[in-house]
Amino acid sequence: MNNLIVSKFMFSLLSAFFCLALIVIYLPIIVMIVFSFNSGKYQTLPFREPTFEWYVNLIADSSFINSFFTSLMMASLASVFATILGFLAAYAFSKAKIPAHALLFGIVVCPLVIPMILIGIGMRLQIVSVGIQPALWLVLLGQTLYVLPLAVINLKNRIDKIPKSMEEASISLGSSRLKSIVLILAPICAPSLFATLLLTFTFSFDEFVIAYFLTNFEITLPIRIWTSLVTGFEPKINAVGTAVFIFSVTLGLIAQFILLFKQAELNKH
Amino acid sequence: MVTDMSASSNTINPWPFLLPALSLCLLFFLLPTLNMVILSLTTETGFGFDNFKLFFATPHLTQALHRSLILASSATLIASLVAWPLAYFIVFCVHKKWRPLFLLAILAPFWTSFTIRAFSWQLVLSDNGVVTWFIELITGFSVTLGILYTMNASIFGLALFGSMLTTFTLYGALVSIDDKLIEAASTLGAKPFHIFKDIIFPLGLPGWLAGIFLTFIVCVGDYAVPTLLGGGLKPVLAQIMLSILKGTYDLSQAATIAVVLAITVMLCGLPLIIYGLAKRNRTAV
Repeated sequence: MNNLIVSKFMFSLLSAFFCLALIVIYLPIIVMIVFSFNSGKYQTLPFREPTFEWYVNLIADSSFINSFFTSLMMASLASVFATILGFLAAYAFSKAKIPAHALLFGIVVCPLVIPMILIGIGMRLQIVSVGIQPALWLVLLGQTLYVLPLAVINLKNRIDKIPKSMEEASISLGSSRLKSIVLILAPICAPSLFATLLLTFTFSFDEFVIAYFLTNFEITLPIRIWTSLVTGFEPKINAVGTAVFIFSVTLGLIAQFILLFKQAELNKH
Repeated sequence: MVTDMSASSNTINPWPFLLPALSLCLLFFLLPTLNMVILSLTTETGFGFDNFKLFFATPHLTQALHRSLILASSATLIASLVAWPLAYFIVFCVHKKWRPLFLLAILAPFWTSFTIRAFSWQLVLSDNGVVTWFIELITGFSVTLGILYTMNASIFGLALFGSMLTTFTLYGALVSIDDKLIEAASTLGAKPFHIFKDIIFPLGLPGWLAGIFLTFIVCVGDYAVPTLLGGGLKPVLAQIMLSILKGTYDLSQAATIAVVLAITVMLCGLPLIIYGLAKRNRTAV
């Protein structure tokens, strides 16, 4: 605590506010987790008997399981694509002289500052006008575009901190540009690359609107959940929600831990 | 000869590295956007603004635009106010070592899907949800909360999300403030309030504004919270777009709505961009 700017009184006010925020943020999630173990079809308290019924139902429901595996595949491929493309682009933005640098960087990170639904609608209208049928491979490319800015920004932050001399040394010793990137730069960036992979995976795994617009029949997990929520409640949604929450948050937390601690460490030097 | 060699090894040809990412952006972002604008300007008789005239002559749509704006700005306003004490606490009240941990405590639910978070609030806010149950337990009266499926529930849901986002961006700005600045000001006799007003606030401003901008963008284009917490009776623009594409399939209307929404976002972002440019020019001088 910094005594110069935070008095004792302020400190207690701020910590009370922080605790209140934590309660508000976690209350609904805890309620959802509790309900996922609650027997009885209706989502009302008090708590009845604990049960695993909804989880068993969930595993037996092939529509959920199939959509989970579709999402898993989409997210894995999209995160790998985005991390590779992002790494290459981040390298160029960080180390090369690019004409219209700001404009091109703006174009690449632009999807981040545009409502998702506009990007989704744009893609849908585009494939309709070109005459392509909605399909999973479009979802894959669309989601790669959606998470690409995250990859570029994260990796550019890392590559910016690596002095150019490191790579120059290996090149003057006879290595090719490509070789020095793969053998020198990539290993230095390994933690950031790993974190980017996890982060883009999480975002792509939870992405709804692009998938909703670009596929008709092979649905992803967020679409399956959405359909269930808007067409009629199924009690196993609590179980799905709990599972997805734990899955995504674990991956997201690991990624953010690596990025934040790495950042703190680099700033120290 | 020697300078030639070093020059050639110094210049990196950026295009092989940029091309994959740029072509993806071109095919899946720039081209669709262009197409969307053209579609919104295409009418039965040729080119023109008829679609937009129709948009603004349709009360159902203008009301939705109005609701989108009210919803997004209220949520953004609340989020921008909540973010300060949270980020301030994490940066100035917590030991350096533990800051990331406290930040992540606030941010953890951020990584789960919007849909699931909105749904979990249904469980809490609904008329037979947890809050009602709790009030009835304490007071013994039966109450009807009447919050779920109103605009207020939507505002609440989006404000909560925005608070996390803005806390995150504000944290980034506050955490990089040099301790020595604050120490120096304090040694020279500045009171906490003045340190806040003259050092912390100006330095935190860029992070705060970035958070405000991003929150507004997410809120104005969101469909999940307005559907699950706000209900379908008074839809916002994003909900209408969703229902057009899965229902009437009037593509030029969908494109028109999308362009209106995009222009709205740009207009709202413009003051911030101007501020950013002005700031950059000032530091350049």
